[in-house]
Amino acid sequence: MAKYFGIIIDEKRMAAIKGTPLEEKVEPIFGGALKRLVIEVSDELGQKVIEQFSRARFDARGFIEETPAAFKRLVFKKVAEMKSLGPEVLEKAIEEIPSIQEEIEKEDRELPVPDIDISDILELQKNPVQKPTQ
Amino acid sequence: MQDIRIKDLPPPHGGKLVERVVRDPQMAWKLMEKCSAVYDIKPTLFKGNPVRNVYREIMSVCYGFFSPVEGSMTKAEVESVLEKRRLLSGWVFPYPIVFDVSEEDFKRLGVGPGDWLLLRLKGEPFAILEIEEVYEINPQDIAVRTFGTPEKNPEVVKVPFDQKHTGYNIYCSLNPIILAGKYTIINEPKLRPPFNRFWYPPKKAREEFKRRGWTTVIAHQTRNVPHTGHEALMKMAAYIGDIKPCDGIVVNAIIGAKRIGDFPDEAIVEAHEMLHLAGYIKPERHMVTITLWDMRYGNPIESLLHAVIRQNMGISWHMFGRDHAALGEYYDVYATQILWSKGIPSFGFDAPPYAVPGGFYIRPQNIAEFWYCPKCKEFAYSDNCTHKGIYSRYSGSFIRGLINEGVTPPPEIYRPEVYKVVVKWWKEFGYPFNNAKYLKEREERLEVDLPHMDIPEHLKKKIV
Repeated sequence: MAKYFGIIIDEKRMAAIKGTPLEEKVEPIFGGALKRLVIEVSDELGQKVIEQFSRARFDARGFIEETPAAFKRLVFKKVAEMKSLGPEVLEKAIEEIPSIQEEIEKEDRELPVPDIDISDILELQKNPVQKPTQ
Repeated sequence: MQDIRIKDLPPPHGGKLVERVVRDPQMAWKLMEKCSAVYDIKPTLFKGNPVRNVYREIMSVCYGFFSPVEGSMTKAEVESVLEKRRLLSGWVFPYPIVFDVSEEDFKRLGVGPGDWLLLRLKGEPFAILEIEEVYEINPQDIAVRTFGTPEKNPEVVKVPFDQKHTGYNIYCSLNPIILAGKYTIINEPKLRPPFNRFWYPPKKAREEFKRRGWTTVIAHQTRNVPHTGHEALMKMAAYIGDIKPCDGIVVNAIIGAKRIGDFPDEAIVEAHEMLHLAGYIKPERHMVTITLWDMRYGNPIESLLHAVIRQNMGISWHMFGRDHAALGEYYDVYATQILWSKGIPSFGFDAPPYAVPGGFYIRPQNIAEFWYCPKCKEFAYSDNCTHKGIYSRYSGSFIRGLINEGVTPPPEIYRPEVYKVVVKWWKEFGYPFNNAKYLKEREERLEVDLPHMDIPEHLKKKIV
């Protein structure tokens, strides 16, 4: 089974690849709610990526998941620099993992909380249907 | 013509609900006076990390979730469970339930068959173990036999279990000395918020179902925050019933030691609750409950324990999807559905678990997969939707990856209110997922607090 590495493309990343052949490779998922680029890799290369990170794994769709966000950022950087979705992009990113090691370790301890308003759910939780049972 | 309506909740597994909880302080004192020694419960550690706390098994036994099991199993019973997935009484039961101590602690305790041992939790009396038998185990042997091997169980086991499997590590990390005997809780723990509003032991669950007028109930097993695919699964699976869809959908979240990278249990239970608070499923039809158990991730084996728990709660159906209670690729992706559709002879099931002696009243709903299809304009069922290349499959790992990258999951993946529950607990713990800090703190505070209770004078110098 082929393996894949997906990269979410937000507006900023879209701007970075605008005008390149990569732009046409961006595909919508979840009805267009998200966009991604996909790198197709061999089992061997996929396994090589998995082995770099203790929690990385193939999910049921055959995608490499649970890699650090810092690694995903690095892969996109390589994609944009090399203007390619070939396996060489991942090979290059793997070589440069030492340069992001500190970021990876920080990710295990800190992830900035999104600045969104959650007052509506706190309000709903003030009157739960299920009350304490003891 | 036979009436096809279901009029009663199913009987407890084994015929009778276990309840071994003493609520009378005087009785509790009398029982403590019979004890020879005191043992402070410690977590089971794997490479220094807590992977199990036996107190959760004691809770689940004494409150009836594991009926008809009444305590730590004897050697003969462990053998029966590992060989045939049956208790000595013949009732189906999948896992060894044992109270393990180190050789050093056993020597210091100075107890043997016939002695009663007071178990303390967080420094307070918690339960009593009436020691019936003491024996030694080989933990690795227990681990291998619990989960199976490709050689002995070729129907569903794909690769040998190893130290990447959490459940395997739990059994490998057991102490070698087992104290077998019945448990009795003598100081009733109080569930901490938010778990306290989801605590429905079987007796209470049945009372609640009766209060709600439910006779047809389906269970949804979870260890995760619900995405829209989970929600679709719950709603569609509940269309089974008798002459109408199920009265109730019960989410039963397994609460216990978890893996780094999973969502915190607090976020899981509140996210499920938010589905009815935000109106996506009517609260009259949806209930969130918890069971205390350190998951063994045993896929088909775990599904048997789920059947035990949920039938005891009064539930008639259990939905099973792909990769049920699974971790990695040790078992076939559909191993649980194979068990519940035709059986797994090498695990002691020549037929499905509801069709064997000592088996279950609870019936399966084997569900394939849901995905989001923009052409169907719905969370579509895989046996209906043919729009390959257009639909998007769900992946828990992918969703966690989005959150990790700071991408807000769109409403096609998480209801906005569900995501906000994740953010609420992210603020509380400083991180959206379990990390080393959360797991350490969680193991110190656990899910319960115990009221203060004095112990008899003769026990004060016999604490290990």
